[in-house]
Order: sequence, then structure tokens, then C-alpha cells
Amino acid sequence: MSFGQRAVLSDVSFEVAAGEFLCVVGPSGCGKTTLLRLLAGLLPLSAGEIRVDGQPVRGPSRERAIVFQDYSKALLPWLTVAGNVALSLEACQIAEPMRTTRVEELLGKMGLQNAARQYPSQLSGGMQQRVQIARALAQEPKLLLMDEPFGALDAITRQGLQDEVTRLAAEERTTVVFITHDLEEAIYLGDQVIVLAANPGRIAEKIAVEIPRPRSQLETREDRRFLAYRHRLFGLLQR
Amino acid sequence: MKGALIPVLLLVAWEAGSRAGVLPMDSFSRPSDIAVAFARGIGDGTILLATWQTFEAALSGFACAAIAGILCGAILGLSPRIERVVGPSIDALRPIPSVALIPLALLLFGFGLTMEASVVAFACFWPIVLMTTAAVRGIEPRLPDVARSLELSFISQMKKIILPAALGRITVGLRLALAISLVVAVTVEIVLNPRGLGYSMIGAQQALRSDIMYAELLWLGVVGWLLNYVLRKIL
Repeated sequence: MSFGQRAVLSDVSFEVAAGEFLCVVGPSGCGKTTLLRLLAGLLPLSAGEIRVDGQPVRGPSRERAIVFQDYSKALLPWLTVAGNVALSLEACQIAEPMRTTRVEELLGKMGLQNAARQYPSQLSGGMQQRVQIARALAQEPKLLLMDEPFGALDAITRQGLQDEVTRLAAEERTTVVFITHDLEEAIYLGDQVIVLAANPGRIAEKIAVEIPRPRSQLETREDRRFLAYRHRLFGLLQR
Repeated sequence: MKGALIPVLLLVAWEAGSRAGVLPMDSFSRPSDIAVAFARGIGDGTILLATWQTFEAALSGFACAAIAGILCGAILGLSPRIERVVGPSIDALRPIPSVALIPLALLLFGFGLTMEASVVAFACFWPIVLMTTAAVRGIEPRLPDVARSLELSFISQMKKIILPAALGRITVGLRLALAISLVVAVTVEIVLNPRGLGYSMIGAQQALRSDIMYAELLWLGVVGWLLNYVLRKIL
């Protein structure tokens, strides 16, 4: 992938199995977001190929939902929380009264039932990101693409959402590609972690995380294997 | 209430001045005569009819300009490529004073509503198209991403995402245009179109009935203010 003369990603090749949680971690400017936008179909490829279920990606699709990092910009400020989620269902041609039922169900799942009539600007960052996740889940995507979704949240909120997203992804058997710059987050969440190196963005290392699920914020992060992965990958991000 | 002090004092001074013979009667009617002329004009319906005629032209011209302006502005805002082609033509047409088109409009449509409304529409189109273009171009770039990844059709992208996101600034353009619409409508009537408040005022002036002229002038101020007030409430 290149923008004009500048190669942004080169020789990035990987596979994600159905239902797998893949984390992509790398220093800033290594092309993580570009990679995600390519997977979403929001950017055209300059070379190479992306296939989902054997079908080449030619543009955006509702089967691939995206959760953007900048939640405050990705939500529609003139719609309520329920309205934002309903928009996604409407796009999927889910008619009333089914739509309202689904909205309630999704808001319940994300712990937003009391915020349904509020506007995004009235909510905290964590709550806004929950709305975005609910909106993405409303699409019932096969592939959930998340671009540093918790990067701007405080540590406690982030940990809570990490666990919720893993739980929901497992429940819905959704495949997830999760971009982050936080190595520990990548190891904690992922079945597979890809480390990108910059200039041009390329795969520095690919590891399978063999820590059983469910994982826990305390024990997993103190697990010997967790620390071993962290040691191994930490060096790669320093270079 | 304190804001009314100056107008009331002025009116009192005006009335006293003309009764004392200080102010010339043919250009400064007495406020009491103006009030009588106004009451008579309302009573026999002439002022109301003229008001309706002016508003009919101003608002229909405004409405055409709003539809065309928002549509063109949205297209120009979305497509820089089209903007590069059309932009220079817009910049060339925009500085033409709309009243300079009155002779052309008269040739095309003759006297009457259509001619007046067309000049109003020309004048109103520019602020709307410019504001809409800027508004659409300035919306949060994340929102079109959201629209695209939901695979919304072009129409629903416009309806559900682009236009609502741009509405705030489009409204500014509409407000500017509405104020212009009344100015241009009255101007066309004063210059040559035989209908509406502008024509009625110029008629009163030529008949040396400055009382009627003042009554209509003040009335025009009131309805102009009302128009803006109503627009502020609904937009």
C-alpha cells in the first residue's frame, strides 16, 4: 500500500481465522490505521489483495463494522444514543417494531439502557465508545474492526471495556481485528498478535497467544506466559 | 421598556415639530397623520394586499433559491472535482448585482410575480450555495466514513448524515438569503414592477402622500423583523 511515492505498508500478509481475535500493535505512524481502513474497504489497495470469506474486498460492507478511535467524531451528535444505534439497524433494513426491540437489546448489552434518550455529547468518553460498539454490533458483522478504540479512555474504563468486548466477541463468534499501540492490551485481548514495524509498515513479528480464556485483568497480566510474550515483543517495539 | 424611550421621544418631537411648522409637511408627515393613513390602509386592505404580493414574490424566489442552492452546494461540497470545474463560473456570476438583472428578467417574463421572484431567486441563490458548499465540505470527515461503512445509498447518506451534519451552517446561509429576498423584492417593485409594497410606496411618494409612504415604510420594518423572528424560531 502506498500513498503516491511513499510506501505506507509493504509485504503485510496474514490470515485471521473465523472467530479469532487478532491484535495489531505497532509504533505510531507504522500504518496501523491504514491497514484497518484497507480491511474496511474505505481505502482502495494500491497493490495486493484482501479476501474475506474468499471474496476480495472491493469497498465498504456492512459485514465489516468499524469502531473508530475518535468516538466523539464518529457518533452523530444530533441523534440520541438510541438513534445512533437505530441508524445502523435501519441501514441493515430492519424495520419497526423489530428495530426498537433490537436497539433496547443492544443498549442493554452495552450497559446503556439508561442513556438511550441522551445525546452523545452528554455522555462520558467511555459511554460514547460503548455507543459506538453497540452501533457496530447492530450490524451483526462477521468482522469487527477496531481502531485503537480504548486509546483515549482512562485505565479503569479501558479494562472494563476490554473484558466486555472479548466477552461479546466470543458470544457472537465475531472475528475481531483490533488495532492498538498498547502492547499489554494486545497480548491480553488477542489470540494472535501482529507487531508492525514502521517505514514502511511491515510485519516484524507474529505470535499466537496461548493463554487460556477467560482471561482476567489481574491473574492474566501476572501470568508467566503473559510476561514472557511482553518481554519478547517489547524489544521489537523499541527498535 | 427602556429601549422604547428614544423612539417615543422622537415621535413626540416630530409631532410637535410639524405642528409648530418647523418641519416641512410634504416630506415629514405628522406621526398622527401617518397613523391614520396606516389604519386606513389596513382597513381597506390595500396594505395587506401589497404585503401579500411582496411576500409572495420574496418567499417564492427564496424557496427556489433554497432548493437549488442546497442541492448545488451539496454537490459542490462533496465533489472537489466538480467544484474545480464549476467554481470559476460561480465566481464570475456572483458579483453581478441582482438588480442589474431586472431588465433581463422583464424581457424574459414581463411584469408580474415570475419576473420579481426570478430576480429574488438569483440574489438569494449565492449565499445559500456558498454556505452549503462550505458546510458540506467542513463536516467531520469521520461521518462520511460511517455512512460508507453502513453502505447507505447516496440519497440516504445525504438525508441521514451529510445534510443534518451541515444543517447549522446551511441555516446561516438561509437566514442571510431571507433578509436579501425582502430587500430585492421591494427594490424590484420600486424600480418597475407594478405590485407590492415597493410599488405602493413609490406611488404614494409620487402622489405627494408622504403619510402613506411613511406608514408603509414603518410597516415594512415591522414585517421584516417578524419574518426574521419567525425564521429564528423555526430554524
